[in-house]
Amino acid sequence: MQYTKEEVLLQAEHINLTYGERPILRDINFAVRNIVRPGMSQGQVVSLLGRSGIGKTQLFRLMAGLQQPTSGSITIFGNKKVEAGDMGVVFQHYYLFEWKTIYQSLQMAVRQNPALKGNEKEAIEKWANAFEITDSLHKYPQQLSGGQRQRASIMQQLLKGSAFLLFDEPFSGLDICVLDKVVDMLLQVSVSDELKTLIIVSHDIETSVAISDTVFILGKEEGQPGATVKQEIDLLERGLAWQKDVRREKAFADTLDEIKAGL
Amino acid sequence: MKKLFQPFAIISKQTFLIMVVSQVILALLLWHISSDGLMPQPGKVLAALAHLSTTKVLIDNVLTSLALTVQAMLYAIVITLIIAYLSVLPFFKGIALFIVKCRYLTLAGLIFVFTLLTQNGSALKLWLLICGIVPFFVTSFLSVIIHIPQQEYDLCKTLGYNRWRILYEVIIIGKADKVLEILQHNFAISWLMITMVEGLSMSEGGIGALLIKYNKYNDLTNVLALQLLIFLLGLFFDYLLATIRSWLFPYTRSQKTS
Repeated sequence: MQYTKEEVLLQAEHINLTYGERPILRDINFAVRNIVRPGMSQGQVVSLLGRSGIGKTQLFRLMAGLQQPTSGSITIFGNKKVEAGDMGVVFQHYYLFEWKTIYQSLQMAVRQNPALKGNEKEAIEKWANAFEITDSLHKYPQQLSGGQRQRASIMQQLLKGSAFLLFDEPFSGLDICVLDKVVDMLLQVSVSDELKTLIIVSHDIETSVAISDTVFILGKEEGQPGATVKQEIDLLERGLAWQKDVRREKAFADTLDEIKAGL
Repeated sequence: MKKLFQPFAIISKQTFLIMVVSQVILALLLWHISSDGLMPQPGKVLAALAHLSTTKVLIDNVLTSLALTVQAMLYAIVITLIIAYLSVLPFFKGIALFIVKCRYLTLAGLIFVFTLLTQNGSALKLWLLICGIVPFFVTSFLSVIIHIPQQEYDLCKTLGYNRWRILYEVIIIGKADKVLEILQHNFAISWLMITMVEGLSMSEGGIGALLIKYNKYNDLTNVLALQLLIFLLGLFFDYLLATIRSWLFPYTRSQKTS
């Protein structure tokens, strides 16, 4: 499998987050690089794994630009500091405005995307078709099933046109059939553009590893307060990325064991 | 039958209706039995209401009261919305919170001040009513704003909206249905106040003035008939506002269909 890792797309440097005297995140450093595969448009899928309550949501909010770190910085495309609106953000439970129809919600996003100016309607129709929610476009979120909400929520952020898409616990509370669909959808999104970068914050180790190319483990180091990135696992090096049946590989099971031991 | 006395038990609509009708009949029966010479029986009250309904006096007075209530409600909601929307600006937050506390001010002690500030009896009644309603409206709307989930603001931020656009999308548009809900919930307060303020300037009439007149002559049958009418009108407006809200904002009645 041929690939190269090129320029840095996202860099977190010396991130610290403290609430009062209580350190939540400590000296977090990691980088996401552009992965190039010859002959195809391959985006990046990165997972940030950690136990419940370790500070994943705080890191998620920092990356989304919804909150500022106490110190340190998160930059994208070289030197741009992350601000709210730079990233597509799919919240846990796939939140949508209850007072807007799905079409209106998608319109809100597509109007923020200069690349789609003049083609807003066509873009919505195209993605709605791909995500199989055309029939639900004029419904309100309360009228949708959980799966339809998920698709609408992901589509909204896709239409906004950010290269980065952040997902907060996207696999939480899903049954096995819906889970497979969500995984397929994420993989479909990841190959939609060379620079498209999906960052999944989750505690579902198995599903996250199965679709990622890189895993960062967030945890606490002995004797140190606050969570930090303890380990980076390059799944490309281990031959575990971009494989549909990766779960059957022994190396996959070994990697899961390694991650569990590191949490 | 056992279910009726079980906490959180679910009963059918039909059972609920039968239960309510039975309770009303029982209450009327108790009223009928316990009425003595001073307290008119329900039949007499209903007959008085039927008689009053055919008179021009009642219709004129009801219309006067309704016009005043609707006018006061409209002014009050406009003032409330301005105060509530501005409350997200730190400069106006203190003013909004002060107005919330004004619920504890009794209007009775301020009548003279209002008399000095207004030009005639009509304006006095209107502004007393408005000032009586606004603190309750503002309290309700600020509570709506305070309870907006953080995710609504966050979603707007992730779409790259600035603060003014977030105010517009989340509070002005997103909570428009709540304005009618607040109107519906607080209509009872304004309906309660109207009888009080109409007593201040009786020359223009109104259902409150009529009530005071009948009270003065100890005409308890007509007083109760008027009370019944006030109650029924209140129920009608409650239903009307709920229907308008459901029609204007269809998502408030959306049910999960798939």
